[in-house]
Amino acid sequence: MGILFQIAVRNLIAAKRRSAMLGSALAAVTLLLVVLLSLSQGITDNMIRSATALSSGHVNVAGFFKMSATQSAPIVSDAPRIREIVKENVPGAVHVNARHRGWGKLVSESGSLQAGFNGIVLAEEPLFSEVVQLAKESEYKEGGRDEVIGDLSGLSQPGSVLIFASQAKRLEVGVGDALTITTETLRGNRNTTDVTVVAIGRDMGFLSNWSVFLPRETILDLYGLKPETTGSVQIFLEDEAQSEATMAHLRGVLEAEGFILMEHQAVPFWAKFENVNNEDWTGQKLDLTTWEDEVSYLTWVVRGLDTISFFLIAILVFIIAVGIMNTMVISVRERTREIGTLRAVGMPRVKVLWMILIEALVLGAVASSVGALAGAALCLGIDAAAVEVPSDAVRVILLSDTLHLVVVPRQIATAIVVFTAITGLASLVPAFRASRLQPITAMQSI
Amino acid sequence: MEDSVPMSAIVTLSDVKKDYPLGKLTVRALKGIDLTISTGEFTTIAGPSGSGKTTLLNLVGCVDVATEGVVTVAGQETGKLSDRELTKLRLHKLGFIFQSFNLIPVLDMFQNVEFPLLLQGGMTKAERHKRVRDIVDRVGLTDQLRQRPNELSGGQRQRVAIARALVTKPQIVLADEPTANLDSATGSSIIDLMKEMNEQDQTTFIFSTHDPHVMERAGRIVKLVDGLVVAG
Repeated sequence: MGILFQIAVRNLIAAKRRSAMLGSALAAVTLLLVVLLSLSQGITDNMIRSATALSSGHVNVAGFFKMSATQSAPIVSDAPRIREIVKENVPGAVHVNARHRGWGKLVSESGSLQAGFNGIVLAEEPLFSEVVQLAKESEYKEGGRDEVIGDLSGLSQPGSVLIFASQAKRLEVGVGDALTITTETLRGNRNTTDVTVVAIGRDMGFLSNWSVFLPRETILDLYGLKPETTGSVQIFLEDEAQSEATMAHLRGVLEAEGFILMEHQAVPFWAKFENVNNEDWTGQKLDLTTWEDEVSYLTWVVRGLDTISFFLIAILVFIIAVGIMNTMVISVRERTREIGTLRAVGMPRVKVLWMILIEALVLGAVASSVGALAGAALCLGIDAAAVEVPSDAVRVILLSDTLHLVVVPRQIATAIVVFTAITGLASLVPAFRASRLQPITAMQSI
Repeated sequence: MEDSVPMSAIVTLSDVKKDYPLGKLTVRALKGIDLTISTGEFTTIAGPSGSGKTTLLNLVGCVDVATEGVVTVAGQETGKLSDRELTKLRLHKLGFIFQSFNLIPVLDMFQNVEFPLLLQGGMTKAERHKRVRDIVDRVGLTDQLRQRPNELSGGQRQRVAIARALVTKPQIVLADEPTANLDSATGSSIIDLMKEMNEQDQTTFIFSTHDPHVMERAGRIVKLVDGLVVAG
């Protein structure tokens, strides 16, 4: 096999122009695939980061409380007990917090918008403080200063609110300005409270468009809730891949503790109101979800990008495969005499087949490795440069205001293996033809 | 012309005919050849162009099969062998020397000579290298071991081809006009080398030629005209 490898490599070098052209095309497609995969992974990463910072834990114990058959609220009535159960039964949890949920209108002097309210205890939210970055004034105010105004710690004071840059633009407010919140209590009364904007966060894509954050006390006052209630107990795991398994385990534990659980539905809590209101029960039912369930309405972004990538790459791969096949056919034709000589001196057909295949596989492996590594370097460079995304629409899709690409070594290795294998497959026909060459082709002169 | 030493038959052809399609026609290149070549003979196949020399060598070289008749090489009836068996026969019993040398251009001289041994397998690296060095030494190319074919002269290339043909110690070496692409002095030295190998190893040499100077060095001359043996 060693000599066949040497022949293959030296033939590739001998036909350097052809090898370079084919290799470049193969490397370019591999590079494109790596960039698309990294972009897709980046969006997924953004999704996890923004979802777990803004609206969900890796696993959530939430629920609905129904005062009557047709009226429900997203409330867990005994949060302290659930937190205790979670602490005792989820050893992989690195952090557990509780958030209140609500929905209402934010009103400023010049505008209003609908938003989802998150009542938080800032001291319990290390991930939130780490992930949410404050926007410079110039990002939400025309002629604003190029510096961050306000402080996240202000959110620990009652009557404060954190909004995001796009919301601040629509409401035309800045840090220190007042907003009025109007909402409907659980008993159907309207309630209003005034809050002060203490911080304005950088946009985090789709999710930050309708999320605002208030101190927990403000939500309790606004909705007239008891202190032991919450909207959702959020569990953050050491390994997010364990989310499904943890949820399944917790379901068993909570049922054993006497809680009534809703059937699992992989949709966010707000999409369940209609069904819950049509069901004939009252009281408390718990609803367990994972972060993926809570952002399931956003996975179309990743699915869409992956689908487009798949078709784009498939078309390019087809073109490349035809190119490889043609090139190898030409190469075999040019070397008919040489192959015939090898057959004449006693080379078996299978070795001729391997000789051509090895040539293609070496080309495929080298070209796809170069393309994949160049793609990885490009992605890391773009990510490090934190390139701003100029279009709001694209920001919504990317769930970030900067281009975020995540290079996954396993994907790089897969791209190399797949493209090498494709090169090998595309060369099967010419390799088979070469192996069927008769030794007499070399004997034209004997 | 030298006298041939009678020995056991290594190649026999009995009423061998070979047809080739030529468009809608069929051309009969060999019209009923009966020929026996004994072990250790230094035989030349002579005849004008189109007389069937190459066709005859192709059949003996197991790279083609007869349309009719029986070809026996090293005790095996080639018409009854599969492609795999024919390949094995070529690898272990036959050596080829081509008019245009047909060396593998991307391998150096040493690797070209070593190649059939690699295909055969069954030898250690040390044994293989010793065998290659010995044969290279005998063809007088010890100083060109790492040169590629395009760095060698025509005569040197043909010496490499001879070394490659002989390195496996085959029973028969076939050569089609081995001196056709060489000047007369180089051609003569190549025939000397082949003759020397023939005498030292008792390897059977069968080669074709047009050249009367080459013919007169042969132990036996088989003359072909229009696909029939007319002398020898």
